[in-house]
Amino acid sequence: MLYLDPEEDFAVLMDELQGLLRDSEQFLQGAAVRCYGGDKVFSVEQKEQLSQTLTQHGLTPAGWLKADQVYTPSHNLVSVNQEPVKARIWDEGTVEGPCLFVERTLRSGASIQFEGHVVVLGDVNPGAEIIATGNIAVMGSLRGVAHAGATGERKATVSAYHLAPTQLRIADVVARSPEGTDDWRGPEIAKIKENQLMVEGVQMTGLRGKGR
Amino acid sequence: MGDVIVVTSGKGGVGKTTTSANIGTGLAAAGHNVVLVDTDIGLRNLDVVMGLENRIVYDIVDVTSGNCRLRQALIKDKRYENLYLLPAAQTKDKTAVNPEQMKALALELKNEFDYAIIDCPAGIEQGFRNAIAGADRAIVVTTPEVSAVRDADRIIGLLEAADLKNPRLIINRIRPAMVKRGDMMDISDIMDILAIDLIGVVPDDESIVISTNRGEPAVSDNSSHAGEAYRRITRRIQGEEVPLMNLEAPDGFMDKVKKFFGMR
Repeated sequence: MLYLDPEEDFAVLMDELQGLLRDSEQFLQGAAVRCYGGDKVFSVEQKEQLSQTLTQHGLTPAGWLKADQVYTPSHNLVSVNQEPVKARIWDEGTVEGPCLFVERTLRSGASIQFEGHVVVLGDVNPGAEIIATGNIAVMGSLRGVAHAGATGERKATVSAYHLAPTQLRIADVVARSPEGTDDWRGPEIAKIKENQLMVEGVQMTGLRGKGR
Repeated sequence: MGDVIVVTSGKGGVGKTTTSANIGTGLAAAGHNVVLVDTDIGLRNLDVVMGLENRIVYDIVDVTSGNCRLRQALIKDKRYENLYLLPAAQTKDKTAVNPEQMKALALELKNEFDYAIIDCPAGIEQGFRNAIAGADRAIVVTTPEVSAVRDADRIIGLLEAADLKNPRLIINRIRPAMVKRGDMMDISDIMDILAIDLIGVVPDDESIVISTNRGEPAVSDNSSHAGEAYRRITRRIQGEEVPLMNLEAPDGFMDKVKKFFGMR
């Protein structure tokens, strides 16, 4: 592909092109060349001159490209083949992954769905729901519905400063809060243990020490 | 330019119409030019609560569809000459008006009045969308019941999404005796979930039933406990800082006797 600087004077471009083609004649022989000149519109004579120069050096002119067919550093990169990120080895109880931060309280009727973990910096009111393929953490009162590990990850967890959901789901296991348990017992985390949803207090001795 | 305040709740029957009538009347009594707008098309009640149902000739649908001028549809109140009512239609439904028409109407009302109180219907559909269309601010009414608070939370979310930020809350029909026994949610339980500024608490009061049936809003009645709460809310709407009143009803004769014998 031949990129012609749209700012540059045509005569200068031709000079440079001649020089370039002479030096690399062997290397470029037989190649088909598509040209791109940015926004600049070249006249018929200029295009003719360019074609001739290319054919003289054994290259085949193969048309002009439009701006959206060309990658320039200012354009967004169209899907490039990315190698899968190698999974790092973490200690037990440490999980990585994409994470969505919700920096407000979720009111009744709000619904958050995300492929990854979800952290809410606020409350989740009854009638609101969070559906995540990863873990869910609520830095406030979780009173709505939380479904972690929604696509089957049984190691997913749901945690909150005040865990009082109308319904809790991890992977395919569903549970309700036991009756009459709305007193604050401190931050808690729910996980699947032996096929059941278990809730245990989170080790936050610093927070507990300061009282409520 | 006047203030357009929408009174909404989500849940039905919590006191939107009663509240609209009372704060509208209260503001008029304080000397402002006030218009009450009933947007509950098909199930109109504001006219009954204001005692003006016999005077309706044109309604809001007539105005928005151009059958009459706004002035022709406005009904002057029986008691206050600076208070007007724009009634809803009873023989149509909520699809008879759209938000664009409501916005235009609200603009017209702002030019004529100091306050326009929009009584919103229950629900979150077309009626709600119509009512909030031209509003500057919102008052959310709830009762101290789990279902009402749930609906109020939803409504607050929808109001915030429609750019009506900082709605104010009225907790209606609270019964201090039940709250004390733990049978009813108290103010802090409700505020925990709804987390918006409180503009008033109105106690449950038989005088409201009497006043709405008679078509004479309780705010004008000096012996009404709920009326006193609405009078305070009216002052807060005008910007005054007023403490929350003592919600317990003043002791009746039997209560005093019981207290004397240590039975309370």
